[in-house]
Amino acid sequence: MTDTKTWARVKSPWVLHFNSGACNGCDIEIVALLTPKYDVERFGVKLEPSPRHADVLLVTGCVTQQCAERLKRVYDQMPQPKFVVAIGACACSGGVFEGNYNVLGGVDKVIPVTAYIPGCPPRPEAILDGVVKLLNALNPPKPKKEPKQAKQPELPKEEAKPEVAKPEAAITQTAQQVVEEVKPIVKQ
Amino acid sequence: MIDFTLIFRILVFPGFTFILLFTLFCDWVERKIEARIQNRVGPMVAGPGGILQPLADFIKLLTKEDIEPRDAKKTIFKFAPLLAFTIMVFAFCFIPVDGTSVFSTTGFSGDLIIILAFATVANFLLFLAGWASCNPYGTIGSARVLTQFLGYDIPLFLIALTPAFIAGSLQIATIASDQAGKFLPFILMAPWAFVLFVITMQAELEKDPFDVPHSESELVGGLETEFTGAKLAFLHLTRDVQVVFGSALVVELFLGGPYGPVIFGPSWIWYTLWFVLKVLAVVLISEYITTVVARFRIDQVLSGNWRILLPAALLSLMLTVALVTWVYPLLV
Repeated sequence: MTDTKTWARVKSPWVLHFNSGACNGCDIEIVALLTPKYDVERFGVKLEPSPRHADVLLVTGCVTQQCAERLKRVYDQMPQPKFVVAIGACACSGGVFEGNYNVLGGVDKVIPVTAYIPGCPPRPEAILDGVVKLLNALNPPKPKKEPKQAKQPELPKEEAKPEVAKPEAAITQTAQQVVEEVKPIVKQ
Repeated sequence: MIDFTLIFRILVFPGFTFILLFTLFCDWVERKIEARIQNRVGPMVAGPGGILQPLADFIKLLTKEDIEPRDAKKTIFKFAPLLAFTIMVFAFCFIPVDGTSVFSTTGFSGDLIIILAFATVANFLLFLAGWASCNPYGTIGSARVLTQFLGYDIPLFLIALTPAFIAGSLQIATIASDQAGKFLPFILMAPWAFVLFVITMQAELEKDPFDVPHSESELVGGLETEFTGAKLAFLHLTRDVQVVFGSALVVELFLGGPYGPVIFGPSWIWYTLWFVLKVLAVVLISEYITTVVARFRIDQVLSGNWRILLPAALLSLMLTVALVTWVYPLLV
């Protein structure tokens, strides 16, 4: 039963995108993720309009003083279990806006963050990698399968070297033979 | 004496389980078609070819926290989504899937009107659900649902009368079997009615270009904005059952129902196969329209209904009556 629940949650993460004061760079990368080129719908990721429907909150940009209260409210409206992904350097720590008079800092100053994806802006692949790592964290490792994976077949490293060296030896031998064959002709 | 065949038919084969699985399958087909038209691949990871994606969404929503807003009207908010789903499944039970309906009968005289009324009641329950959530977006969304379905129900009923007039019966099973035995499929005998019915069905199911009640760019989530967890799951499922129900109605009224050539073995397998294939064809047409056209404004939807579709439906009915009286008797 728990397995089915986890499977369903991993296969269908619905995301809500919230801009808490970003320059739109990270937002464009998220849009690139949702549109045909990267098409995250194949992993079951859907952009939802309402925080009530979402599982994952994607926050971009540093949190401004004005936005902090709204961000908290959006987070509170989401149903459990919920995850927050901070996308971009600004969302992770405040970035270049750290210490500005109207900026509070990173997202983790306001709400708990599950995954940080740094970059200015992070590439869509990086965002996807972050989301996959977050979802894999939901799947606890199964103890029964670990011993089987531990037995790694040994690579035949020593045997590989002579195989590479053989052709060279063959070439040098033939070259010596050629030289020996040529010598008598030169003498004549 | 308990009739186990009847229980099996209600719970498993043409009944609840079949409807549920077929609905989830049609949802997957829709998402795949939409993705392919938009140059994407669509759901791919959950199960082979992503076929389990709707099931994963459904299970995930069932296991999520269920939030009730403080201002919501609790009772209606709780029960309206479940009741709407139940009524849609009950309406589906009257549709002959494998030659007979779920209750092992060929229905009764007038069941076409009954199931259309059930569809209306389900729509009204969806309106109540959105209204009870006490959210501004939900309220506007449900007001639009009501405005739209009150308008489009009239042409839908009028156009659904066309096959009934040709077959001379208001019984779905009779209408379907007449197309296999007595006449040609009604899509060939009354193609204008088929086109009008598909357009009206598109409006009735709130799909593009008539999806104003839940237009994301204006209304967030429409009437389902405030719903979470299991209630949202049942709202989504109701919408999907409505789509399959609408397509099944088109199949029964215009495409000859479940009847088709029986090549070998028992007839009910072949009838189910033809039914499923025909429903998928209608889903394909409907989803193609949804994907390639843009959304109308609410005023355009309403004026299009009262000025174009209603007169067209009346004309179609008059034409049908004239043809049934004077022309078709000469052909048959």
